[in-house]
Amino acid sequence: MPDTVQSHIALPVDVSAPRSRGADTARTLVRAGSLLAFVAVFVAFAVAAPGFLTAGNLANVVGQVAVIGVLALGMTLVVVGGGNDVVRGGIDLSVANTLGLCAAVYATVLGDGWGDGAALAATAVTGLLVGAVNAVSVVWLGILPLLATLAAMNICAGLELVLTHNTVVAASSPLLDVLAGEFPAGVPVLGEVLLGVAVLLAVVLHLTPAGLRLYAVGGHREAARAAGLPVAAFVAASYLGSGLCASVASVLSVALLSGSTTGSGDMLLAVVVTALLGVVFSRRLVATIPGTLLSALFIGLLINGFQLLNISSYWVNGVQGVLILLVVAATSMLRPHAR
Amino acid sequence: MRVKISSRYALVLALVAVFAFFSLTTTTFLTPGNLQSILVNNFALLAVVSMGMTLAIAAGGIDLSVGTAIDIASLIFVSAVAAHVAIPLALLGALAGGLLVGAFNAALIAWLRITPFLATLGTLFIGQSVQQLSTSGGQPIYLITGHVPPAFTFIGHGTVLGIPFALIVVAASAAVFVTILGRSLFGRRVEALGAQPGVAWYSGLRVSRDTAWVYVLSGLVCAVAGIVLSCTVRAYVPLSGNAYLLNAIGATFLGTTFSKVGRPNVPGTLLGVLLLNIVANGLLLIGWNFYWQQVGTGVLIFLVLVVSFGGRRQHSARAA
Repeated sequence: MPDTVQSHIALPVDVSAPRSRGADTARTLVRAGSLLAFVAVFVAFAVAAPGFLTAGNLANVVGQVAVIGVLALGMTLVVVGGGNDVVRGGIDLSVANTLGLCAAVYATVLGDGWGDGAALAATAVTGLLVGAVNAVSVVWLGILPLLATLAAMNICAGLELVLTHNTVVAASSPLLDVLAGEFPAGVPVLGEVLLGVAVLLAVVLHLTPAGLRLYAVGGHREAARAAGLPVAAFVAASYLGSGLCASVASVLSVALLSGSTTGSGDMLLAVVVTALLGVVFSRRLVATIPGTLLSALFIGLLINGFQLLNISSYWVNGVQGVLILLVVAATSMLRPHAR
Repeated sequence: MRVKISSRYALVLALVAVFAFFSLTTTTFLTPGNLQSILVNNFALLAVVSMGMTLAIAAGGIDLSVGTAIDIASLIFVSAVAAHVAIPLALLGALAGGLLVGAFNAALIAWLRITPFLATLGTLFIGQSVQQLSTSGGQPIYLITGHVPPAFTFIGHGTVLGIPFALIVVAASAAVFVTILGRSLFGRRVEALGAQPGVAWYSGLRVSRDTAWVYVLSGLVCAVAGIVLSCTVRAYVPLSGNAYLLNAIGATFLGTTFSKVGRPNVPGTLLGVLLLNIVANGLLLIGWNFYWQQVGTGVLIFLVLVVSFGGRRQHSARAA
């Protein structure tokens, strides 16, 4: 579905290069290949690791990737609105540290004796504020997204330390108890939240005019402006969305770890990988919400399978790295030569 | 016109301002001991690493794997010295390690046409696994105090005519990169690549070959930083190189404000590195704790970016 919507938006590269049937076939192959890889990994673990293919384990994986998944979904919005070019296009390097700051705010507000409502509101406001700072610096001050969000990342990391003094702030509340629990269906609530956020964003991004316009803005900004779209508002909204996703993810992370912990910044690269890897699950090789969700699950399954097979976790990073390179090499071979 | 001038010197003004501010507000900042400590302990390593980053960004790319090259070089160097390999051989090994990381990036970017950001990100991940696997999860390798060769100590803590050796390394690598980027044919081609990759390609430049060299050189200079780092701390600490990544990117982009046309340049990068280090040191001295320092540094980078991009806006709007 998302793909038919996007095919209306001609990317500049595609227009200039005559599209051959061969390239189309190759794209289909890559996409089928990535889905096949997904299935192959799945089957390999199912055969090799007893316990992998149990409903309980799979449900656990969905829960384990919830935090990174929600962050990556927010990042996807920014990538869609800013375009695929990593340096000049959209990227939000501040997501992981925004999560850290939001988690610290949530835990601190709870610790001061406020209820869940106030804590949630404070957390959402924090996430939106960071998003707003990013939006202002990227859209109105014209700073490269990579740099603007890098500065925001540092500021968030600092503010988190100021709030928590680099310690773990324990937190408990009725909401957190619910989030840390299991649904009757056996899927952790965290996983349900991830799926819920994904469905919500997928509807907005792939089924509404606003979503289509966001793709138009990211695909060719000048053309979108010429067509009369409020380009600035769309790009700004994508950063606000990313900030909000970070605050949602922060509550999940507090529920998972029973408090705010340090070192959330380490998640950044995993989030970037998840959001960028998702591209291969779409036919036109663009960022989509289902693609990001699939890639989050794929990475989660990979790590989980490694654990079940007792393979040292030291391999995980390397395998992720090789995976990015394989995927990107394959896709960049297929893109028209855009030097 | 006025906007352009002020944005060009924003970095120098910021540097003078923070220097004056900390000199007036603290009694400890403007002392030879403190200034030397800033230069040797903080400035030197980041400056060397930032040389590679400046070249990569000038070529229109980025090198996220600077930390990997530092770490791999340090791993090889310290392991070799610990195993009583002769220092020159250990040095060669370390440089080869950095070269390998750079060549790996070069292959991915120039021949497989992976975007630099993703290619070097992949290298970063693979480098993490390599280090974890070869140190059983991240155990540092220390040199036993009695067995540190004199040459090793000299690189980390020695002086030549009163000048710390680490600063001589900075001067040498800066000289090399100024020559490469500002005064060589290769540098002109790199500039062309970064400014107008399409035009460079149509003009018949061998884009792949030049791009490959950029990342090889970056890996090599990071290996130099890795050697100095190992000698300073007398150990190899796994995954320690990544600490320089974000500051190197920040310093390079701060440095672009120093160029008339907003391009990465070696003197600007050095000023950027100096600014970051002075601010971190000064905030520590006026009694801000580590936590507020990070906020302060972030805000400062942000302000310089605002000034520089604000001044450049009309320029780029016309170009686009």
